Amino acid sequence: MIFLPTQSLILAGVLFAIGLATVLVKRNLFFVLMGVELMLNAANLSFVAWSRTFTGSAGLDGQVAPLFSIAVAAAEACVGLAMLLAIFRSKETLDTDRFDRMKE
Amino acid sequence: MIEQVYFAIFAVVALCCALGVLVSRHPIQGAMSLIGVMVALSGIYSLMASPFLATLQILVYAGAIMMLVVFVIMVLNSAKDSSTPRFDLHACVGVVPALVVGAVICRLVWAWHALDGNRVQEALAKEPAARGTVEAISKVLFGGRETSGWAILFLAVGLLLLTAIVGAVLLAKRRLDKPPATPAPSHGGHA
Repeated sequence: MIFLPTQSLILAGVLFAIGLATVLVKRNLFFVLMGVELMLNAANLSFVAWSRTFTGSAGLDGQVAPLFSIAVAAAEACVGLAMLLAIFRSKETLDTDRFDRMKE
Repeated sequence: MIEQVYFAIFAVVALCCALGVLVSRHPIQGAMSLIGVMVALSGIYSLMASPFLATLQILVYAGAIMMLVVFVIMVLNSAKDSSTPRFDLHACVGVVPALVVGAVICRLVWAWHALDGNRVQEALAKEPAARGTVEAISKVLFGGRETSGWAILFLAVGLLLLTAIVGAVLLAKRRLDKPPATPAPSHGGHA
């Protein structure tokens, strides 16, 4: 029987791959942001799973790191959505294929 | 044994919802699927002895961040996925590196499990069930060991969040110096 951290690590790897596929395949900026969030979640899950493989209080560092990851994800979502609003205001679209020049 | 059953349920929910993010057409459907992923991951966290992180996952991710995303989707309202087809050459090319990354990660985890898994599993069998409580985590963050730099990092994260708030306000506000090109009729007397 495979124990829980290994299963979680494999789940985290699959979730990371799905998030990466979302970022690469989708043409809508919202989906790109959500793919990034999915990858961040997979990384957090991997932190927690590795922390579970350490005994005693040594593994608790692995549960503190996701706190900072979550805070940075909140900042990223905040700034990312503000940028998305600014892009939509100037381009009237969220299709990433249309963003082929930096200006205008 | 019972935790294996719970883990299987949560893992299936998380995978199905993640695939839902990948294949859904409208961003609202994707956001709802992503909330499903986060709730399922919260369950997995609590299975792995970290109730504090499980709570925080619901509070911050499913509560705050996804609320912001859904709110902006509803504000923009013209956010349909583009007219390009979902499964074309570009999509297939995009899936290939994701498959490669996922396969490499799973292979590495499996190699670690074959090398070290049994020893860790035996050591974990003697551990107490819940250890990631608020008390234990705050001891790691703020007290105890002199060498840990988590407290300084905590202050830095506060500064980062403040910067992000200011940056978001500056990015999202309209330019004050130049008036909008076509004044909206609904804002009539306001302008």
